[in-house]
Amino acid sequence: MKKKEVRVITCIICPVGCKARVTIENGKITKIEDVECPRGEEYVTRELEAPVRDFFTTVRIKGAKTPVLPVRATQPIPKDKILDCVSELASTIVDAPVKAGDVIAKNLLGLGADIVATRDLDQAKEKGQK
Amino acid sequence: MVKKEIDIAVIGGGAAGLAAAIKAKEKGTENIVILERNEELGGILPQCIHTGFGVRYFKENLTGPEYISQFIKKVEDLQIEYKLDTMVLEITPEKKILAVNSVDGLLELRAKAIVLAMGCRERTRGALGIAGTRPAGILTAGTAQRLMDIEGYVPGAKVVVLGSGDVGLIMARRFVMEGAKVEAVVEILPYASGLSRNVVQCLEDFNIPLLLEHTVTSIQGTDRVEAVTVAKVDASWRPIQETERTIECDTLILSVGLIPENELSQTASIVLDPATGGPIVNEHMETSIQGIFGCGNVVHVYDLVDHVTQAGELAGESAARYVLNKLPPLRRKITLRAGDNVKSVVPQIISGEEPVTLHLRVKKPMRNVKVKTGNLTIPQRVVRPPEMVVINLTEKTLEKLEKKDELKVSIAEETAP
Repeated sequence: MKKKEVRVITCIICPVGCKARVTIENGKITKIEDVECPRGEEYVTRELEAPVRDFFTTVRIKGAKTPVLPVRATQPIPKDKILDCVSELASTIVDAPVKAGDVIAKNLLGLGADIVATRDLDQAKEKGQK
Repeated sequence: MVKKEIDIAVIGGGAAGLAAAIKAKEKGTENIVILERNEELGGILPQCIHTGFGVRYFKENLTGPEYISQFIKKVEDLQIEYKLDTMVLEITPEKKILAVNSVDGLLELRAKAIVLAMGCRERTRGALGIAGTRPAGILTAGTAQRLMDIEGYVPGAKVVVLGSGDVGLIMARRFVMEGAKVEAVVEILPYASGLSRNVVQCLEDFNIPLLLEHTVTSIQGTDRVEAVTVAKVDASWRPIQETERTIECDTLILSVGLIPENELSQTASIVLDPATGGPIVNEHMETSIQGIFGCGNVVHVYDLVDHVTQAGELAGESAARYVLNKLPPLRRKITLRAGDNVKSVVPQIISGEEPVTLHLRVKKPMRNVKVKTGNLTIPQRVVRPPEMVVINLTEKTLEKLEKKDELKVSIAEETAP
């Protein structure tokens, strides 16, 4: 039995924002319509076959002026792993000082991306110090 | 009172102000001071922990903190003076600045040039007139962002977002990532106000419903928000009563527009443009007062920080040229007026003699259009309100421009040849 499905994907490569109509038969893309350029076709194909996203969140930090440190992944991760990565980092606590680019977690969940700090956070000064 | 004479005062240490100060220093002015009311430099960028910054300027996809740290480092390297925790109280047309902080006390700066880079502020509930009680749990998107990504609090568990501006979309995703439930994003317009990238990656990725042509008609709750009522609206934005329904939630996030912060510009009697809410500027980013320049979101609200940086650089360069007596006034002034489907245009005044980049905000989405500046037409594939239209007028193009005192900038349907 043949399974045929048509899905609409908004291309986000440029401001034109084509609404691509993609025909999928037995899990395979057989037709892409209403996309104006090859970059769009490439994006739409990747969106259906293996969508990836930039990943960023915060982790806890001790001894800095703020309690959280912004972090990011060094490369995009699979879209369906975003919440898993967040949960994995939920218990992470780092100590100040931290420099932008410091590795906070190596190869998170084996996805090939490291988690790095995106800013410097110094040790907080004691009260009264300036 | 501390009194000081300086070359250039930059008011605001965000993306625009830092770019202006750096450029002014590089162009040969020495005595520059950045006045910043926050406890660190960077403006809004330190709390924008998501990616998407710098794709144009650095050709790199950076987070907010990564983007702005490049400029903060440069300010340090160039030894540009900055004062943090410093509130500017008043500026005068004679370029006298009154400021206050806990180190200098009251501070009077006499500057040869001033760069306004105060940014913008969010519209709040008071500006919307939503009926109901006044419980805790109603926050602007930027406040929620600061609480979550700088202060480390998650300020809600069941969230409704009103308005689909970029910060609202981004916060919808952040709430989900931090374990909250986002019930809906409610938008009065028939299309999202934010970038389509954010609609896809912040809402669709997490199955958050986007209710277009809907609004929040009332807020319920005594101590804390307990629910909001939403309704579909008709063509003139009036809620249709039969469509009202209640959504239980403990938090309402507002992402309903940004307003340039021009209280200080008004103390100096700088002429503002009602369409942008910011000062009227010429192609040098000079305001109606000679030697006072403006850049970034204080002039008009941008969607990409890369463009803010460029505007800052232009204003900084102009301020330096002014101080060094190398900025002659425009030989002729052509005032640009917003025409069909154009909400605003910056700069509002050009000479028609020097290359200039126009930034337009359109009123409604259109495809296959011509952007007309007087008699010049430039084709554009698509124009959408969330994305600023950028038109580069080169020296060669400008040769053909009709030299009138006033020209209309408008968007017209492309007609078949």
